[in-house]
Amino acid sequence: MSFLQPLLSGILTGGVYALAGIGMSLVFGVMNISNFAHGDLMMLGMYLAYFAFTLLHIDPYLSLVLIIPTAFLFGYVLEKLFINRVINHPHQNQILLTIGLGLIMSNTALLAFTSDPKILTTSYSSSAFNLPGGISISVPLLLSFLITCVIIAILYIFLSKTTTGMALRATSQNREAAQLMGINVAKMSAIAFGLGTALAATAGALIAPTYYIHPLAGHSFLLKAFTICVLGGLGSVVGAGVGGIIIGVVEAMSSTYLSSDWKDVVVFVLFLAVLLFRPQGLFGKMGGQS
Amino acid sequence: MIQHLLRVSHVSKHFGGNVAVHDVSFAVDEKQIVGLIGPNGAGKTTLFNCITGFFPVTSGEVIFDIKKINDLRPDEVCRLGMARTWQRVKPLGSLSVLENVMVGAFSVTNKARQAEEIAIEQLKSMGLTDYASKSAGSLPIGLKKKLELARVLATHPKLLLLDEICGGLNHTETDAILDIIRTIRQRGATIVFIEHDMKAVTSICDRIVVLNSGEKLAEGTPEEITNNPDVIAAYLGGGHHA
Amino acid sequence: MKQITLVTILAAAAIALPLVIGENPYITGILISVLMMAALSSAWNILGGYAGQYSFGHAAYFGAGAYTTMILLTNYSTLNPLICIAVGIIVASIIALITGSIVFRLRGHYFGLASIAVAEIVRLSVLNFDFTGGAQGILLSDVSLWGLDLNSKNPFYYGMLLVLVVTLGITAYLRTSKTGYYLQAIREDQDAASSLGINLSFYKNKSLLISAALTSVLGSLYGLYIRFIDTSAVLDLRLSIEIILTAIIGGVGTLWGPVVGAFLLVPLAEMLRSNLLGDALIKAGLVSETSALGIFLKENLAHAHVLVYGIITVLCILYLPKGILGLFRRAK
Repeated sequence: MSFLQPLLSGILTGGVYALAGIGMSLVFGVMNISNFAHGDLMMLGMYLAYFAFTLLHIDPYLSLVLIIPTAFLFGYVLEKLFINRVINHPHQNQILLTIGLGLIMSNTALLAFTSDPKILTTSYSSSAFNLPGGISISVPLLLSFLITCVIIAILYIFLSKTTTGMALRATSQNREAAQLMGINVAKMSAIAFGLGTALAATAGALIAPTYYIHPLAGHSFLLKAFTICVLGGLGSVVGAGVGGIIIGVVEAMSSTYLSSDWKDVVVFVLFLAVLLFRPQGLFGKMGGQS
Repeated sequence: MIQHLLRVSHVSKHFGGNVAVHDVSFAVDEKQIVGLIGPNGAGKTTLFNCITGFFPVTSGEVIFDIKKINDLRPDEVCRLGMARTWQRVKPLGSLSVLENVMVGAFSVTNKARQAEEIAIEQLKSMGLTDYASKSAGSLPIGLKKKLELARVLATHPKLLLLDEICGGLNHTETDAILDIIRTIRQRGATIVFIEHDMKAVTSICDRIVVLNSGEKLAEGTPEEITNNPDVIAAYLGGGHHA
Repeated sequence: MKQITLVTILAAAAIALPLVIGENPYITGILISVLMMAALSSAWNILGGYAGQYSFGHAAYFGAGAYTTMILLTNYSTLNPLICIAVGIIVASIIALITGSIVFRLRGHYFGLASIAVAEIVRLSVLNFDFTGGAQGILLSDVSLWGLDLNSKNPFYYGMLLVLVVTLGITAYLRTSKTGYYLQAIREDQDAASSLGINLSFYKNKSLLISAALTSVLGSLYGLYIRFIDTSAVLDLRLSIEIILTAIIGGVGTLWGPVVGAFLLVPLAEMLRSNLLGDALIKAGLVSETSALGIFLKENLAHAHVLVYGIITVLCILYLPKGILGLFRRAK
């Protein structure tokens, strides 16, 4: 098999991973919280896309127009109701709280939608472009990747050009200093969590046409998202973007050359290796928060 | 060559491109009290962290009691007999005052009962007996500083490094701490201490080392230092309110 | 003195309990689960509660014990189960040492994440290897030990009780020893601890090893008791979280907290799992059996115990972060 095939599909899948990773990194940067409910928020995005398609007959990619604001609002409210109350607590309490919220989400989904996996089949779900050299590119994967690029570009402009975006980055760099400069850090936290949720749900919706949709689908993405963040340096948005692509490629390569059963193991070993040898991430400066 | 208890020799510490400490050398003899002063950001605490093993030095050597200790961990340094306090006090918050001091005492004994005896003794000499069963986190700052001193003395150090032990205290509290330090000294301890309070430094130190922007600016007796024009320029002219 | 009396009474009651309830496998089964979770959570507490190192991957050690025992017994059926337990401890200790050498260099978020990653690597490896039975798991037909009737549940009741007592004994001893004080110092402030002569990685690894070894013994017992294991039963992240949750609800870093937590959580989960709650509501006439809600309760409540765990976790962190015993602890 050609080396280019796994490389290409790895990059395309990695784009969507990057989206999930960026969401988590944003939350970590601004709030200094590891969000263990991130995978479950992705799962919610998958179901939103599924129901928009089956009930409202909206194409999963178009449904993002609905999903993004809904998820943002959901995340914003979640932060106001729960997360901000543990923002000064020890890390383990924050982790446990988000684990608890994740369990509530996934198990409510289990009760509501049962554990039978759902499949979102669009007219183009299994179509692919065939390139010379026997390489094929799945249409939904390519579409997801392109949409991801657009969203990341918008996010980048938002963070670097708008007042809110700059306030978010300032909070991320130094929460206390930001507060002294008159930035409403409580509001920034809620916005960051809303954005993180929206990005997770978007990633979920984007992979919905190519994955089985079920209540526990988010769990395998949770650790992946963490690996991406750690690779890029926790809190670094650009790093998370590159980290996502790397994870996508590593996964595709290990599926091709090792076995798809072991691809997650490879990802976690990589995760530990980065923590050990470059805890500041591949691109980060020193910043191992203690 | 004379044998010093502590010899800091050409120590530099860089953080990435930032030079926090540059080529600093000084020595401390037994039973001396040496003050380490300088404006904020002069590199005093960084130097302490290098000496006690919290930061690896970028270059240079730290020699304690004829042993090179650059590459030792903080706990190894402590067990060799060099103990430090923290500028921002670090009480073991949910343990009691007595238990805090016991933790220090465990570096000289393995038995809980002995550790308790040492701790009770330390608390008595520090006037903290009444607070023994209070949780350390609940103490006011003045008592936390005293606790920090009691805890570190329980490790029976040969050399004591005090990082702004009077910082944030009022005059009465400062005087109380200085009295304790004088008592410790009479018992033959050697002390290096970082201090902002010029009066405190000159009243108690045998020698003073002045740091400025990471480099050693001057060294000498309190009298020499207070009359040194460079020091006056850097320390007072730097806008520092001692 | 009062504590010793209390412990004696509790121990006597615990020993006599099976004789009082007689041959009731259902009740004995629940009691075994309670004792096992109490012991698991107490073992975790030595590392998480006293040393403050929140391991989110303790299922790895439980699974190490369970899998080692089951694999040995499938291949050498005449082997004494005690030897299997011992080998399990060795395997768990090796995993613990590897984990410790990686994760204890990290602090804060990183530590928790790394402990999960190690546990997930163990779980996925077990799932992918053949000698571990893969996704099918391992089924054991027969076990024998000193002619005990291992089809009865009572030997396992006493086995779990013994491990719980040993774990609590170790915890009680640690609390009053140098190691215990050092662990608590590490929990409170690692820099201060280090500056007071505490070798951080030595003491962290020591508490991890004790904790992992005890956890693996419980895993071995579980395997012998159920005689069927798979990764979702003994290596799942959910198990690691249940262990922590039990300690949190009772009171982290207290001797009895994990025991209190287990006595509350396990029966609650059992009530939900066996649908006692739904049945009770229907029997009491509050909900009609044929109504939509009645059907929903009957069909779904049995799956809801994890949901309830989630709700309890959130409430507990927000309103009771020091656990139930934290409410009663004297303010110093």
